[in-house]
Amino acid sequence: MNLIAISINHRTAPVELREAVYLKEDEIRPFINLAKENEIKEGLILSTCNRTEIFGIPNNNEASHEKFQKLLLNFKAAQNISEHNFQKFISRDAIRHLFSVATGIDSLLIGDNQVFKQVKDSFQVAEETNFAGYIMHRIFDAAIRTGKRAISETAISEGAVTISYAAVQLTEKIFSNLSKKSALVIGTGETGEIAAKHLSEKGIGSLAVTNRTQEKAEKLAEKLNAKVIPFDDFKESIYKFDIIISATAAPDILVRKDDVKTALKKRSNNPMILMDIAVPRDIDPATKEIDYVFYHDLDSLNIIVDQNLAKRKSEIPKVEKIIEEEIDNFWEWYNSLQAAPAIKDLRDFFEDIRNEEVEKNKNKFSSEDQEKLDIVTKRIINKILHHPTIELRKADENSNSVDAPTKIGIIRDLFGINSKKKSEKD
Amino acid sequence: MISSIHTINILLPIFYFATLVVYFYDFLKGEVKLVNVKRVFLFITLFLHLVYIVMRTIAFDHPPITNVFEIFTILAITISFSYFLVELVSDIRGTGPFIIILPLIFQLISSLFIQDLTEVKEVLRSNLLGIHVISALLGYSGFTISAVYGFLYLVLYKDIKLNKFGLIFNRLPNLEVLERLSLYSAIIGFIALTIAIIIGVIWLPVAFPKFSYLDPKLIGTLLVWLLYAIGITSKVLGNWRGKRLVTLSIAGFMVAILSTILSNFLAQSFHSFY
Repeated sequence: MNLIAISINHRTAPVELREAVYLKEDEIRPFINLAKENEIKEGLILSTCNRTEIFGIPNNNEASHEKFQKLLLNFKAAQNISEHNFQKFISRDAIRHLFSVATGIDSLLIGDNQVFKQVKDSFQVAEETNFAGYIMHRIFDAAIRTGKRAISETAISEGAVTISYAAVQLTEKIFSNLSKKSALVIGTGETGEIAAKHLSEKGIGSLAVTNRTQEKAEKLAEKLNAKVIPFDDFKESIYKFDIIISATAAPDILVRKDDVKTALKKRSNNPMILMDIAVPRDIDPATKEIDYVFYHDLDSLNIIVDQNLAKRKSEIPKVEKIIEEEIDNFWEWYNSLQAAPAIKDLRDFFEDIRNEEVEKNKNKFSSEDQEKLDIVTKRIINKILHHPTIELRKADENSNSVDAPTKIGIIRDLFGINSKKKSEKD
Repeated sequence: MISSIHTINILLPIFYFATLVVYFYDFLKGEVKLVNVKRVFLFITLFLHLVYIVMRTIAFDHPPITNVFEIFTILAITISFSYFLVELVSDIRGTGPFIIILPLIFQLISSLFIQDLTEVKEVLRSNLLGIHVISALLGYSGFTISAVYGFLYLVLYKDIKLNKFGLIFNRLPNLEVLERLSLYSAIIGFIALTIAIIIGVIWLPVAFPKFSYLDPKLIGTLLVWLLYAIGITSKVLGNWRGKRLVTLSIAGFMVAILSTILSNFLAQSFHSFY
């Protein structure tokens, strides 16, 4: 199979080079057209902030990885990118690479399931632009199945691997029902905003935000349907909250141990979670000594993140096993698209039908006519199959083209003739 | 029948052990496939245990509640049955091995020392005694489960505070749930023990004309009852929560165990039937 793939990714190139070849949404379709003009009949373009990949089945033998690279570099007018910034794959390895990307084991953040969505989106674009033919379509199906199996059969995407998710995971180990809890987010910068969003997505009962610049807090509050607390006296109201997440750029401690002690007394020792995700810290670390106060900072949240990443890493062999199984399945199907066995299966299929009907009806004929019946029906079958057989042999001679397998695949689908091996398995 | 009772008597600790192994393995690996397997193990063990108790009752002409080793086997089945219900109702995973180990211990001791008694003191042949013992055992099962959940609460609480995010952190339910489970089992246990005490007080003067209200068992039980009464009341009033509450539950359980051991083996009490 002459599936060719090139990949420039987080392992082969620094971010500025990846940015230089990144194909924006409105660039992908023109690029596909360009590829088609350059005799790449079927293929797939995947471009994210961490990788840009081109998969393609060229029309002839002359196409090579270099041609793919040139196509991309000329299209983006990118410079300073050399040969070694690209990974190259062919045939079975190319499929393996696509499956690895789809399952997230090739990602910077192992098991990242965002990439699975991006892969699926790129399939959609390929289909919409008629860039995915019969074979490519089958590869997409297999890749999606592999991705789904990796998620459901292994723990490759389990556990929080970002700080803000780790904070939520920790919260869920303390409180059972977030919808009955209230939270305050101090500081509405990028980190604070993400944390507030996560809490809101998890269905927090009531959410409040506070920020030195009141307008910024109001803006975020409007987006998330939250309350705004004036920054100057937020300390007086911390006792009202079960969860406090702080992420300001303040250089000094904002919440002192005594503030928390007073708050806890006011709420008759109802547990409080304090998440300090600011650098430098906003909440006095000594608050962790207070009973019923769960204080956590970036260091402790990073422990969770690291543990989950290690766990995901240990799942990679399981995912690789699934990938190999799916490649084998695909390959078995692909091999059934060779001309010789396909012609034999097709002929056997017709012969079986002929035989069955002759056996069923031969008693209606005299014994002399029975022999004639056999000869005549055989002749009909031969005549019907003559042209398809010639066509398939001819297509097969041009062995690198996807024409022959595509034709054979369609014939097999139409008549419902699967390869022998497969039907035995079923 | 006697020989099958003896066989089941040996089998029961083995079955409890096998169940514990499955639960523990699931705790370590956390595989979804094992969720039903472990329940089947527990169910089979419970069923075998029930058969055993019914057979004993028929063969020896009395329910196995007349001495401490008979009572231990009942305690084993009530604890595991209560846990079985907790698991079915609450769908909480990860606490099983910590509970199942208790019926294993109780059943093991019972299996080792239980005897084929057919002679039972006349005083113990009373319907009131049946209700008294069963409600007392339900009470103690409740306290046992409450104490286990209380203990798990303390371990998880400490782990979270000290940033230890290991197996305990990953497998146990959250602190609020553990606290609630501990509280509910304590309440159920408390109600059952109250019934046992009331029946005991009605029945005692009739059965034992010479008994004393200063009997160690009586004082011990009253102390246990008081501890739980204080704990539950202060929770309801909203003064106590979390750590303090579960510590009280564990303390209550300790006193209960201690009072049982003392009154059965050491001190002279009318409750010593062994």
